[in-house]
Amino acid sequence: MEIVFEKVTKNYGPINVFQDLDLKIAPGDFVFVTGPSGSGKTTLIKLILNQIKPSGGDVLINGVAINHLRSKSEIDKIRRKIGVVFQDYQLINDLTIEENIALNLDIVNYPQNKIPSRIDEVIKMVKLQHRHFLFPSQLSGGELQRACLARALSIEPEVILADEPTGNLDVANAWNLLKIFKDINKKLKTTIIMTTHNPDFVDSLNEKVIKLGKTEHETA
Amino acid sequence: MRLLKLTLHHIRRSPFQSAIAFITVFICFFILNFFLLINRGLSSVLNHFETKPEITIFLKDGLDQAKVESIQKELASFPEIKEIRYISKEKALSLYKDMNKDNPLLTEMVTASILPASFEISAFNPKVLEDISQSFSTKKDIVDEIIYQKDVIESLLSWTKVIRQSGLVLIGVSIFIAFIMIFTLIGMKINNRKDEIKISRLLGASKFYVKRPFLLEGIIYGFFGSLFGFILSFLIIYNLRTVINGFFQPIVFVSELSLFEPLLLAIEVLIGIIIGLSASWMGARRYIKW
Repeated sequence: MEIVFEKVTKNYGPINVFQDLDLKIAPGDFVFVTGPSGSGKTTLIKLILNQIKPSGGDVLINGVAINHLRSKSEIDKIRRKIGVVFQDYQLINDLTIEENIALNLDIVNYPQNKIPSRIDEVIKMVKLQHRHFLFPSQLSGGELQRACLARALSIEPEVILADEPTGNLDVANAWNLLKIFKDINKKLKTTIIMTTHNPDFVDSLNEKVIKLGKTEHETA
Repeated sequence: MRLLKLTLHHIRRSPFQSAIAFITVFICFFILNFFLLINRGLSSVLNHFETKPEITIFLKDGLDQAKVESIQKELASFPEIKEIRYISKEKALSLYKDMNKDNPLLTEMVTASILPASFEISAFNPKVLEDISQSFSTKKDIVDEIIYQKDVIESLLSWTKVIRQSGLVLIGVSIFIAFIMIFTLIGMKINNRKDEIKISRLLGASKFYVKRPFLLEGIIYGFFGSLFGFILSFLIIYNLRTVINGFFQPIVFVSELSLFEPLLLAIEVLIGIIIGLSASWMGARRYIKW
């Protein structure tokens, strides 16, 4: 899935977050999005998910300007190809981890008879065996973030959007999670777009970086 | 299967709200079915009187045999007469004694002389009875009183009409309450689960996908509420059948089981499902905004 921003501007009322932002993310890329708080990292994720519309310019996914899509079903179709890992997890609290994953698989019309085996696969990938039957409230922060990643991975997405996935984790858990993301990118060729304000992560992987700032925006 | 599981999960998560929705639909269909069965009995009562048109002409005392025979001839001259029965004073006494054989006090003081002779006329066409009534009501010298069942039927009809209209209003109100109750409860449940809906939408769920469990929930309330409402009202009426039919004898107020009951059950359950589905659909449409 190719993601292109063409002169994207985003304003929240009088506050300008982006001005004429251009960027291109090719299939299989691992991209860090960095910048200080309020620089628009989460806004960039929301624009790709079409949760919000740009004030100017276009967001293109595989050549289609999604901000001009009127059909909600077209937007839903695009979202079904994207796995999302949120900083605050966004797991459904009264469903177990495997039920949360199963829900996402059901949403993307994954074959019902293959759902249990797919859950087992992703649970193993994120090393959450013996935890999948628990509810989110029974897991630690690191486990929750891995559960969230398992849900995103389960649908075999073309892109994973990870919004500050290490923000709530201790150093060890954060590095573990980063390693899992890197493995997924390497083995499955899944595009990863990860927002972070941890420069150590960015420096360690030597991957593409999109730096956002309040006054100027540059792309790597 | 996953949809049903998720819906049952929603129901279990708010058992009191779910119970209220179920009980409301249950009461609605209990009243509906109770009324329908009573209405069916009332129709039997009306039918009993309407299909047996009769008029009774009580004669003045002291009429001789020739006069009685001339009245009988005049009655026989009307078209479509089914039967003319002459009840003499002696016969009237015999009937009276027979009717009150268990109460000797009522029969001790009565003699044939105080009871009037009468003609009982039945016809194939009730219109003829009306003609006879009009014709003989002017003959004050020979006629003491005319009892025409049209009056009874008219009185029954007006009562039945009142009962039917009240029943319809009651059913309308209870259906409206059931509808509003499901609509409101689904709205509350949607509000309680808005985070779950928002997450599902972000994961690519269509609006219909997130509405489905709520629609199925409405259908479940409608289905089980109407089913149990029917069963309870049916059991009450059919258990009291002997007592009710004894009271209305010889009219069969509560009839034997037939194809009517399963058909009625199917229709009521269908109506229940429609109420549940439409209320939850409107609730979901109104409250799911994400």
